[in-house]
Amino acid sequence: MSGTRPVQRIAERLIRSACRRLPADERAERVREWTAELDAILDDESIRPSWLRGLRALAFCIGISRATRQLSGPARAGSRRARGSRWRSGAPRTRPNDTAVRVAVGVGVYAVVVAGVVAVLTTHPAPRGWPFLLLVTLGIGFDGYCLADIARSRQVRYLPKWAWALICLAQTPAGGIAYLCAGRVGRARSAPPGPAGQP
Amino acid sequence: MKLTGPLERVLRVLVADPAAQHYGYDLMKAARLPSGTLYPMLARLQQEGLVESEWEDQRPDAGGRPPRKYYRLTAEGARVARLELARAPAGRSTSRPVAARPAHGMPGSAR
Repeated sequence: MSGTRPVQRIAERLIRSACRRLPADERAERVREWTAELDAILDDESIRPSWLRGLRALAFCIGISRATRQLSGPARAGSRRARGSRWRSGAPRTRPNDTAVRVAVGVGVYAVVVAGVVAVLTTHPAPRGWPFLLLVTLGIGFDGYCLADIARSRQVRYLPKWAWALICLAQTPAGGIAYLCAGRVGRARSAPPGPAGQP
Repeated sequence: MKLTGPLERVLRVLVADPAAQHYGYDLMKAARLPSGTLYPMLARLQQEGLVESEWEDQRPDAGGRPPRKYYRLTAEGARVARLELARAPAGRSTSRPVAARPAHGMPGSAR
């Protein structure tokens, strides 16, 4: 049943790893069900252009991951709160030291965000009701998060705080992503390197 | 049963033709729901005996595609779904439980 397309292989792997959360007796059946759905998505002629099908399949996998978390949770009602706290405390945040790695991460995140926005806007042609609202809300939320982070951090890198704040506001979401990748100083780290512009 | 907006959309799709078989992606498209919402909901409905599922027979003409799992309403499910949808305001997805709606409209709305 293993797929031939690279996206399909990645997606099947994601589904398998998500299904590990499920009880052993449900696991095999769910994997079969969802990999079959994957096939249906990737062969869906109504999604155009065809590369959007790959994104759709990956979005499907993210949903499956959420679904298995809910299906495996002992108390379904509390799962949302549990997920929230896990998000905050767990999931070790990677803090790559190397500038090249940081730039690559930033560019990658930006590419994913742009691809996501394009996907939403093309799959929901006008009139764009909730998808558009969702994007605007996400943008405002992301800006707010970045501004709060700038305000709370003791020091930022390369540029003064006000400049980062302006950049975040002017270029949603690129400015915020640039700040998080380049300008942000990790809490765990001691004194940041030198004054602005001098590494 | 708490009739939330997504649940209402799924039930509308299923009730439209109770005998029809739907696989998950089909339902996702028809009800416009993400997989993360749909599958837990289907599992819950199945647990409550309102929805049943069965595996597609592998046909030789399917072109080697894997068999799908199909969902449809049980007789009880169709009855409950019609009842709940009849109590929901038509054409509008509500995120509130239906039972919590006041029976005589909002105060001041009678004009």
